[in-house]
Amino acid sequence: MVDTYQMIVCGVGGQGILTITDIIVMAAQEKGLRVLGSEVHGMAQKGGSVVTNLKIGKELYSPVTPIGSCKVLIGLEQNETLRYLKYLKPGGFVLTSTTVLFPIVWKKDKKAAQLAREKIEENLAKYKAKIVRIDAEKLAIEAGLALAQNIVLLGALSQVEGFPLTVEELKVALKQRVPAKYLEENIKAFELGINAISNS
Amino acid sequence: MARVEELIANKKGRVLCLGNEAIARGAIESGVQIFAAYPGTPSSEVSNALIAAAPKLGYYAEWSTNEKVAFETAFAASITGVRAMTACKHVGINVLADALFSAAYMGTTGGFVVLVADDPNCFSSQNEQDSRWLGVTAQVPVLEPSNPQEAKEFTKLAFTISEKFEQIIILRSTTRISHARADIEFNEFESNFREGKFEKSLRYICLPALARANHPKLVAKLEEIKEWIPESGLSIIEGPDDNEYGVITSGISYSYLKDALALLEKDIPILKLGMIAPLDEQTILEFAKNKKNIIFIEEVDSYLEDRISALLLQNGLNPKIHGKCTNITNRYHELNSRLVAEALQGVIGGELESVSEINAISEETKEFVPFRPPLFCPGCQHRAAFWELSKVVRKNKGIFASDIGCYSLDPWVTDTILCMGGGISMANGFARVITDKPIFAFIGDSTFFHTGLPALANAVYQKANINILVLDNRMTAMTGFQPNPTEMLDIADVAKALGVEYVVEFDPYDFEKGKKTFEDALKHEGPTVIIMRKICANEWWRQTRRRGEKIEVYTIDPETCTACGTCLVQYQCPAIHWSIDTNSKGKNYSVIDPSMCTGCGVCAQICPFEAISKVVD
Repeated sequence: MVDTYQMIVCGVGGQGILTITDIIVMAAQEKGLRVLGSEVHGMAQKGGSVVTNLKIGKELYSPVTPIGSCKVLIGLEQNETLRYLKYLKPGGFVLTSTTVLFPIVWKKDKKAAQLAREKIEENLAKYKAKIVRIDAEKLAIEAGLALAQNIVLLGALSQVEGFPLTVEELKVALKQRVPAKYLEENIKAFELGINAISNS
Repeated sequence: MARVEELIANKKGRVLCLGNEAIARGAIESGVQIFAAYPGTPSSEVSNALIAAAPKLGYYAEWSTNEKVAFETAFAASITGVRAMTACKHVGINVLADALFSAAYMGTTGGFVVLVADDPNCFSSQNEQDSRWLGVTAQVPVLEPSNPQEAKEFTKLAFTISEKFEQIIILRSTTRISHARADIEFNEFESNFREGKFEKSLRYICLPALARANHPKLVAKLEEIKEWIPESGLSIIEGPDDNEYGVITSGISYSYLKDALALLEKDIPILKLGMIAPLDEQTILEFAKNKKNIIFIEEVDSYLEDRISALLLQNGLNPKIHGKCTNITNRYHELNSRLVAEALQGVIGGELESVSEINAISEETKEFVPFRPPLFCPGCQHRAAFWELSKVVRKNKGIFASDIGCYSLDPWVTDTILCMGGGISMANGFARVITDKPIFAFIGDSTFFHTGLPALANAVYQKANINILVLDNRMTAMTGFQPNPTEMLDIADVAKALGVEYVVEFDPYDFEKGKKTFEDALKHEGPTVIIMRKICANEWWRQTRRRGEKIEVYTIDPETCTACGTCLVQYQCPAIHWSIDTNSKGKNYSVIDPSMCTGCGVCAQICPFEAISKVVD
């Protein structure tokens, strides 16, 4: 157990959650580490809340990370970050995008949406966590590919202390996973993510 | 997900894949020669992989119209001595159960494996059925792997056991194994595909006299398998030699148990059962012999607990039983390592970090975390169809019996969703006792061919006064866009051939035609079939983008928009949002996200202020 690195990636269906999970497991496998993850398919996931669990290490049994146990949480949408924060081990690391995607209930109730937005920093701060908020949308647009917000956060993840994979190892997997047509923009997004956390 | 090339490569090595793909690889390494299935989450990826690999490896595989058809197809092949397999979700095994119960009496000669994937927690299912019981009720041996690697090895083992004992084997998975992703060790394989050889025998005829003779043979066969399990290596005893406590478990629960014991920093004896039906009585009794306490860790039903408690009693053993009967775990939803650790802590002690503070914060912030259900995709023709329908249904105070598919996500009119094909038959039932309101049934194209056909034939035969709405999106979209007979069979032709007098087909984006059709159909006596036919918008969008073609999107004029919310709050198109900026009147307005818009144009049709139009370059 001591050697197991547990993490969670969450967001809204369509944000590329499975893609960055893929890149992490590919890099880990290349390094000779064992990986075990869990994802949920099926119902049209577009627009639904999506979470993947991931464990990297040597002796791995169950694929699911229970409450209060993961070391890092990556959130591609800030309200989804809040939803899944309870799975973080106290003192763990949170990388969250400041992106907000409105679910239908908030399209109906603009006041609730506004209140949640005002309270988000306060709410996230209630958990004992090291939280870095990144404007992934802005950085992805800067990289030339608005969809690459997930890759921005992957770049940031490479800088988290104790994370078992290096920038180079992640880059190799990134190159294999993303379409060649958008490789340049993805690399740029990855590097902007690295800088974002170094500057924070 | 692993690529087909990786799954069929005849070489040794580690490959990243889903548990379901590991099962498919196990079947490939076993030389499966025929595979037939109907898709169903969480089992679909087994079938996706095996059907994609078939033409490349030279075996036969098909998407059948339902699980029963698939089972019968594969079973027939297996009794000619070739290796055969089918895969389904838990509710799918009920559809094939009719064939399974009798096929169990007959047995097989080639290996025959039935993969069933249960879905504790109902991630994408209508119930939490625990299929382990089929081992008892259908009298078929059940293997239960505890992780993706074991799932692959057990698939291979299932074929071997099936051939050794000439019996069908059920391989039981759950969502957390089927949809786990891991680096799986692949092995090399040999495929010896051969011509089927059917040896005629009375064992394959289930007439009463023959079945009566076959049943004792089946019971004897199960006894034989039971005697063989101890030498198979399927039952594993781990941990210290200790008489105070012992845990009996199987499947994914074993994996949770291992992590839970590490959390508690405890080490106690574990008996892990690889085959859960028939039970390895010899090993279980040996394990339990001197134990003062037996703890059962299992998900959903108390299957092991009830059966093993009875076994212990029959053999004069009387340890204290801890399990569902003492409420250490629930009889519903899935487990995880924390829940198992808490269950064990109450019995064997140990320290666990408190999560009460985390729970308190979670509770406190809950109101700010919005409910985010999956919705119809942008451009979805189901949404368009339901929108138009909802007006007719409401106006006439109609009753709406829906069915299983993407259309189950309807937010407006659905009154019932029961099971595959249940909508048409339920509508028939409603129509017999409610005569002053129109009755509607709703069904997709795949479900129509799955179990809708017999219900439609019945509705015609019984002259049911119901309106059957078929949403033909040309594929089985919900489970991942699998093909189905709608590629070749025209549902309108089928309905007419079955004797439906009123059959109309229209494009669900065409509201004028839709309104007229529905009003017209309501005047008709007897069953009507209204087909709304259009390729799944999601798939159309992907295909169009892949071809590099431009999608003509729509836009909203900020000055004309009154923020009435028709397109965004009522029609609920996910591609439409509230603006951040305000217009010249200082008001927010609706905005269409051009990266999500599919150009269906429905919002332009329904906007009361004509504020929406096609983007002009």
